[in-house]
Amino acid sequence: MKRSHHAEKSTGKGDPQCFKGEAGPAKFKVGDRVRIKNLPDIFYTRCQVYTRGAEGTVAVVTHESPAPEDEAWDNTDKPEWFYIVRFKQKDLWSDYPSAYPNDSVQTEFSERWLEKA
Amino acid sequence: MAEKHKAAPMVDEVSDFEILEAAVRELAIEKGLFTADDHRRFTEFAHSIGPLPAARLVAKAWLDPKFKKLALEDGVKASLQVGIDWLNPTGFGTPSDYTDLRVLEDTAKVKHVVVCTLCSCYPRPILGHSPEWYRTPNYRRRLVRWPRQVLAEFGLQLPADVEIRVEDSNQKCRFMVLPMRPAGTDGWSEEQLASIVTRDCMIGVALPHPDRKQDDKRPIHPAVHPIQHDHGHDHAHGH
Repeated sequence: MKRSHHAEKSTGKGDPQCFKGEAGPAKFKVGDRVRIKNLPDIFYTRCQVYTRGAEGTVAVVTHESPAPEDEAWDNTDKPEWFYIVRFKQKDLWSDYPSAYPNDSVQTEFSERWLEKA
Repeated sequence: MAEKHKAAPMVDEVSDFEILEAAVRELAIEKGLFTADDHRRFTEFAHSIGPLPAARLVAKAWLDPKFKKLALEDGVKASLQVGIDWLNPTGFGTPSDYTDLRVLEDTAKVKHVVVCTLCSCYPRPILGHSPEWYRTPNYRRRLVRWPRQVLAEFGLQLPADVEIRVEDSNQKCRFMVLPMRPAGTDGWSEEQLASIVTRDCMIGVALPHPDRKQDDKRPIHPAVHPIQHDHGHDHAHGH
């Protein structure tokens, strides 16, 4: 049985580990303030609407992988760095109760979605 | 209740996704991608996995600072020590989930809780299948927006100065929570500690408690309406 090129690439290494070293240098580092771009997302995305335009802080630089917007179409040519970004709740929802100023949400983005804040 | 019992269908509704799954599975078997027996084996495997390896990982991390450091740095490597190989979880060549496990450490000031707002991403190799509520739009929509209210519905109320940190698992990382070791567990063995780390503690909607164990004995009550062997009976019972 011929396996898919994806299965062959990831066997024994895992995914996303199989894309290690393919994205070049990471543009952001832990602690950087970033803003989430509001890019077009026709067909497929994994960038939640509630994060668009919000500012947060890079919490973890996770791994290299094709962005889901490409990988959904089996395009694995240009892997990107991924980042877990931490947002204050009140920066996502303006009416979040001020009694809980420390509450936060973290979620992950490929590099194309981030710009320096 | 109806006077005359009529046969009712066992399953009231089959979703579009169940039909799609059956269609794709049957096509894949016809095309020889896998056999019906491969599928049965995998289904059997999938039904056998559960949260015990993750509970052991937590217990080990509580007891061994070196192991905790490894778990926080490399969840996939740490999983090997509790018998889970993310690269080959079934042991018979079937594909895995994505393989980047992140362990989120709670502290006195930070409480983590995991959700996947876009679908239902979950660290299945080490935590088994997600509970049904984890996959509901209700939980997924509301946890990021009203985390304290949702946690209160689970019986978890935390002081205002504790940061509730919701982790929205939307890419290839998978997350489990390493809760704080509760008081009243001094001198406990790894096995004893693992017994109080329930699935919900590792999703983050509950805290471990020394009196609440995974395998607590449940009372057995006599049936109020003993079973009659026909399915025309009011099938709302027991749901």
